[in-house]
Amino acid sequence: MSFITITNLRKSYQMGRETVHALAGVSLNIEANSFWAVMGPSGSGKSTLMYLLGGLDRPSSGQIQVGQQAIESLDENALAVYRRRTIGFIFQSFNLIASLSALDNVAFPLRFARVPRRQRHARAYELLVRVGLGDRIHHKPTELSGGQQQRVAVARALVNNPQLILADEPTGNLDTASGTAIMELLSDLHKSGRTVLVVTHDPRMTSYATHTVQLLDGRIVSETSRD
Amino acid sequence: MGILDLVTLIVENLARRKGRVALTAVGVIIGTAAVVLLVSLGVGLQQNAADQLGGIGDLTKIQVYPTYGEFDPNTGQPIGGTMLTDQTIADIGALPGVTAVIPQDYFQGYAQIKLDRLEGGSQMLGVGTNDLGQLGVKAQQGSLELKRGTAVVGAMVSQSFYDPRLRPGQDPPPPPDLYDKQLVLNLVKYTPDGQEVRKTVRLKVGGVLAEARDEPDWSIYIPLDELTGYNTWVTGQRIDRNKVGYNNMIVRVADLDQVLDVTEQITNLGYQAYTPQSFVQGINGFYLILQIIFGGVGAIALLVAAIGIANTMAMAILERTREIGLMKAVGATNQHVLGVFLGESAGIGFLGGLGGVALGWGLGQVANVFVLSYLAGQSAETGAPPPTVAVSTPLWLPIFALIFATIIGLISGLYPALSAATLSPIKALKYE
Repeated sequence: MSFITITNLRKSYQMGRETVHALAGVSLNIEANSFWAVMGPSGSGKSTLMYLLGGLDRPSSGQIQVGQQAIESLDENALAVYRRRTIGFIFQSFNLIASLSALDNVAFPLRFARVPRRQRHARAYELLVRVGLGDRIHHKPTELSGGQQQRVAVARALVNNPQLILADEPTGNLDTASGTAIMELLSDLHKSGRTVLVVTHDPRMTSYATHTVQLLDGRIVSETSRD
Repeated sequence: MGILDLVTLIVENLARRKGRVALTAVGVIIGTAAVVLLVSLGVGLQQNAADQLGGIGDLTKIQVYPTYGEFDPNTGQPIGGTMLTDQTIADIGALPGVTAVIPQDYFQGYAQIKLDRLEGGSQMLGVGTNDLGQLGVKAQQGSLELKRGTAVVGAMVSQSFYDPRLRPGQDPPPPPDLYDKQLVLNLVKYTPDGQEVRKTVRLKVGGVLAEARDEPDWSIYIPLDELTGYNTWVTGQRIDRNKVGYNNMIVRVADLDQVLDVTEQITNLGYQAYTPQSFVQGINGFYLILQIIFGGVGAIALLVAAIGIANTMAMAILERTREIGLMKAVGATNQHVLGVFLGESAGIGFLGGLGGVALGWGLGQVANVFVLSYLAGQSAETGAPPPTVAVSTPLWLPIFALIFATIIGLISGLYPALSAATLSPIKALKYE
């Protein structure tokens, strides 16, 4: 059985009088320890798919099964716990807290997980070393380059040791070299046993991915796997 | 998320924006300081009034009078009304807390008092006790004991003496020292056909009362049965207390707390009862209202501060929308977000309250120094005793003010925090 089973997933928005179908029936089976690249033009529904999978939004219909949990039927608090324990998010615009140091930014999610302060900092430091920022732990985000900021964000996504990493255009704001470094990092995460799903425009990502999905107008138009 | 983690996060968030937190807290500081200072002023005024009232009589004393009914226009006889009889003494004496019931009566004729060449006049009171101490008066000379043939006189009685043979231009003699002197009383009555009848009585002054600024100052006290004898002579009728009653009674109560209660019960028995305690209660009521008004003025300042907090929190939530989205993405529940933002606004209220309590208390101390030195100068001119305190802060006030300011902060943050907690995480993350 797959780690994630998405069945006939639909999401519609009301835009004025018009109903927009961001997802119009998507079904997908994602094995554990796979690396998925979700591609498609703007408005194709790829970000919507990622947010639904991450429990940040609710589908209009359809099912999302992650492990043993039916995500669409969880209540608000259970969804928060699901995001905390199972998901690590990486965003295009990093979403670091400007006034916190790299260390505190990485440790931030642990505040909601009843982890003692000393342990929080130890874990955050370990992860910053792992993404190559062991010498930048007390720097504020504004004192770091874009690539470094995104690496802080990757470390933050890993701090709760989640099974599933969801990345929304992680290289979109980065130069080529920094983007490559992030892709390498995501690939390492995949190789160390996690499941990674990346929403991207960047065709280089497909060379790291085990599976590539093309979306258009809320539907899957092609699905390729590279084994 | 543990309470400690929540508090740490709130403190860190507040510390991140020191300038804005401080500016918002200034409003709370002013409001809280106003509440503390103004209410302290009210309390100080009340304490001053209580100090001044301390001189008024004895607060455990209740004066009881009969009720007077209407007069029947045909017969001239009173209808209704109650009398103070021996039964009344027993009834009131049986009330819980009553320690003494002392009937009093006044001399109904005219008494001219002579001491050597001097003449004087004062009201003569008969009291149904041989110990005047039960009336709550104090002696400055001699004893308070009443015996047959003796009198105890009030502090001002000697002031009523004058020299009837004083020629114009002569200085009046100084008031005589009455203690241990033999007073000659000429009791005067008139027969129905206008004949003046006199009766001479000799009384030895066994004691002089200390000044009470009340009725006893101008009174001559003698035993009640002796006075009843003189009144019988004046009216020519035997006086039956069960038919004419006593003029009034003094009731003493063991405990100050029982005074109003006993007064009410005596009123319920059908008599008129007066106590200075009800006056004091009235004064206290006035100062309570004053304190509420003063507190209200301060509360308006706090209300303005509350709007300031709400505004700051609403701004903070706009600025930190993406942070709220991030909090949710990394697993914060709605309750976590609510707790953080409520905590921040309550924290601003608490900090402002802390500053306001310190400022209000400090201003009060400064005011005490200046106002008291000014008033001491004033009273040196008038001779009145200077007030001991102008602004007085009771312990409960800063505690109450601090809690109140915190709750104001909490309430002000309620709406912004609720809107933060219910924000859609995706919209929050995409917010520019």
